[in-house]
Amino acid sequence: MGKDAARAEWDNPMQFVLACVSYAVGLGNVWRFPYLCQMHGGGGFLIPYMLMLVLLGVPLFYMELAIGQKMRLGSIGAWRAISPYLGGVGMASVVTSMYLCLYYNVINAWSFWYLFHSFQSILPWAECPANSNLTGPVEECERATPTQYFFYRETLDISGSIEENGGIHMGQALCLLLAWIIVYLFIVKGVKSTGKVVYFTATFPYLVLIIYLIRGVTLHGAINGVKYMFTPKMEQLAKPTTWINAATQIFFSLGLGFGSLIAFASYNQYNNNFEKQAIVVSMVNSGTSIFASIVTFSIYGFKATFNYESCLERVRLLLLNTFDLAEDTISLENVNHWIAELNRTHPEQFASLGGRLETCDLEAELDTAVEGTGLAFIVYSEAIKNMPVSQLWSVLYFIMLLLLGMGSMLGNVIAVITPLSDLKFISHYMSTKTLNGLVCLFCLLLGLGFTTRSGNYWFTMFNDYGATFSLLFIVLIEVITVCYIYGIKRFEKDVEDMLGHRLNWYWKIMLAGVSPILLIALFIFYIVNYIQGGTPTYQAWNKELGKSVVTEYPPYAQAFIGLLLASSVCCIPLTALYTYCKKRNLASGKRERTVSTITPRQS
Amino acid sequence: MLVRILVLLYLAGAPALAQTLCQPNASNGYRVRISIKTALGNQAYEWNENEMFLFRATMAFAMRRCYKTETYNVDNIIVCNQTLRVSFWFVVTSPENSTMLIPKADVEKAVSMSRHRINNAFLLTDRTLEFLGIHPTLAEPVNPDTPPWLIVFGVVIGAVFAGIIALLVSSLLQKRRKEKGMMEDGQDEEDMQVKGVENGNVLDGIYNRGFTDDDRFTKL
Repeated sequence: MGKDAARAEWDNPMQFVLACVSYAVGLGNVWRFPYLCQMHGGGGFLIPYMLMLVLLGVPLFYMELAIGQKMRLGSIGAWRAISPYLGGVGMASVVTSMYLCLYYNVINAWSFWYLFHSFQSILPWAECPANSNLTGPVEECERATPTQYFFYRETLDISGSIEENGGIHMGQALCLLLAWIIVYLFIVKGVKSTGKVVYFTATFPYLVLIIYLIRGVTLHGAINGVKYMFTPKMEQLAKPTTWINAATQIFFSLGLGFGSLIAFASYNQYNNNFEKQAIVVSMVNSGTSIFASIVTFSIYGFKATFNYESCLERVRLLLLNTFDLAEDTISLENVNHWIAELNRTHPEQFASLGGRLETCDLEAELDTAVEGTGLAFIVYSEAIKNMPVSQLWSVLYFIMLLLLGMGSMLGNVIAVITPLSDLKFISHYMSTKTLNGLVCLFCLLLGLGFTTRSGNYWFTMFNDYGATFSLLFIVLIEVITVCYIYGIKRFEKDVEDMLGHRLNWYWKIMLAGVSPILLIALFIFYIVNYIQGGTPTYQAWNKELGKSVVTEYPPYAQAFIGLLLASSVCCIPLTALYTYCKKRNLASGKRERTVSTITPRQS
Repeated sequence: MLVRILVLLYLAGAPALAQTLCQPNASNGYRVRISIKTALGNQAYEWNENEMFLFRATMAFAMRRCYKTETYNVDNIIVCNQTLRVSFWFVVTSPENSTMLIPKADVEKAVSMSRHRINNAFLLTDRTLEFLGIHPTLAEPVNPDTPPWLIVFGVVIGAVFAGIIALLVSSLLQKRRKEKGMMEDGQDEEDMQVKGVENGNVLDGIYNRGFTDDDRFTKL
């Protein structure tokens, strides 16, 4: 039909696959999966992870691609076409994607900031800056570590709590501006420009990961980290949290429910073989997670070994200085032997050491599992500063973070723009370029709020609550809609239409049975966890102590959290209500109109 | 004769006197700790009498440099209580009166002033040649006029703006070429505006894509 021919398309199926890979492979693969792996028993975690991939991830991914490719519209249009009462599902997706757009690009701004600061002879997070009278380092830096100081003070200029606001950090604002301009450039011509960009954003991070893998495993002490991670602790599999975290990780890692996959697939050729592509992209995503965690753990191992050996060195010096022994009597290997020896021979002098004698424990160093921005910007940069030629590694690493983040941002922004540009009244008044520009500008202006002094606390709030719960709800409604309201038989017929062969029994069982059950279980778990968790808390950076303290959210922040959750979820019932009322008015008013082909249930 | 006895007494007594002047925890003395092997590893030299002489000479140089009017000598630097660690105490006597010690603060001032030279004489650093009690003055932080990150940022954003201008110019040129050639291919940018408009408004009923018989495009 002529109307369909006017829709833009990917130049070739490869662009579509790379776009999906670029979107799905994001920062979560680098900073969330290794943490989960460590928390839930190392190599053993792969079992629930793979199982959930097969039961939950791939079928849902397949379903979203099928919908997008069939309907050839963004999420709002597609869901309205499937069932007009549930057009709100698309709207909820757009709202959630909008929230994600707002805060996700701030991470890219931080990556830019760190990248630009890597072009110095001494990395700024390697040493503490001197205080005003040059007698020693700044106290805050002294109590924390230089990397933490650089992140919390110089990058964020963070305030003590979410209530204390402050001005905008100009450097951050400039980096955010740059990030949004680049995103705009990538999407300005729609899929024509995005299709070319994804060749780079999807493949270059792998190049950097391979380089980092080679560098990582050749670092001193890396093997400790890798061994620690892969040692399976099978008893973790008995805990339900392991399975739930595996399901949640698969779910969010594939980016289901945001509408990005529907938007990407809507630009496909009608007969594109998305079944194969769905499997390929899901496998690539999981494979990347495992690959990235090998890299992360070799870096962990290096950092832990470095800290452990520094600790031993400090103890050695302390013993040498207290007991006035010649320098080469104690070496790093026999420190512990000497501690016992000296305790035996000079007990009083040994006792005078008191609290200054540290215990150095490699296991304890490895145990410090971190996830999220803390891992990416603090732990990793701490490891990088100790590598030889650290500027090069720093630049490479932050370029990789940028590409991963930008690739995901493309999906997020397209998820918002595609449905909007499908709406008739918007596309009538402005061109795609203008719409793209307006959306980017809007997100930039709101995103400036995250560059204020308390911005990181709002960022964490959005990160924790903006998308998690609403997505589960959205995807649950999606699966139930497709399988039971639209009908699995009709869906089967559509797929046969597009692909040429019928739905496999695997897809049918998963989509109609297993996935909805798992989703409902996840959903219930989330609600129970949220209620049981009491007042929501966050980590506030305390300047005096030089560390984060757990603080409760003030009432207005909690109300805002509720607003975040409600605003996307209630789109669904509200739209259903609106459609119902409108149809009633129509039915009573204009009876001679074409019979609407939107009755949800047809045999 | 008397002179000889006095000289003998002086020569015998001077070291003893020097020893009483220099004591561990002396009020006007400083403790020095040297870690050669930590600093130099395989290239470490042996600490012996000659190195100690160099130390005393360097200290005398530091005192001379600070207090230009007085000529200090190696004899004015008295060292005692050397340990295996390689740490020892030292005091500085005045050139005029060898029984009088130079106050702690003055010694500190001299050491701080010439710290860099003293370190370099021994191929050591502030951390490996420690004067316990004298804190090394940290280097003045280098404050460039333009922070380096801003320079890189400027380069990148310049490149991005160049990209935007290139994009605008190329689309303008394309438009002009299209207008000249009057081509009607469907790949024009402006045609994309009508994409997705096929949904009629609600009054006409919603076009349900689920029932269309789409043209089969050939699979790539």
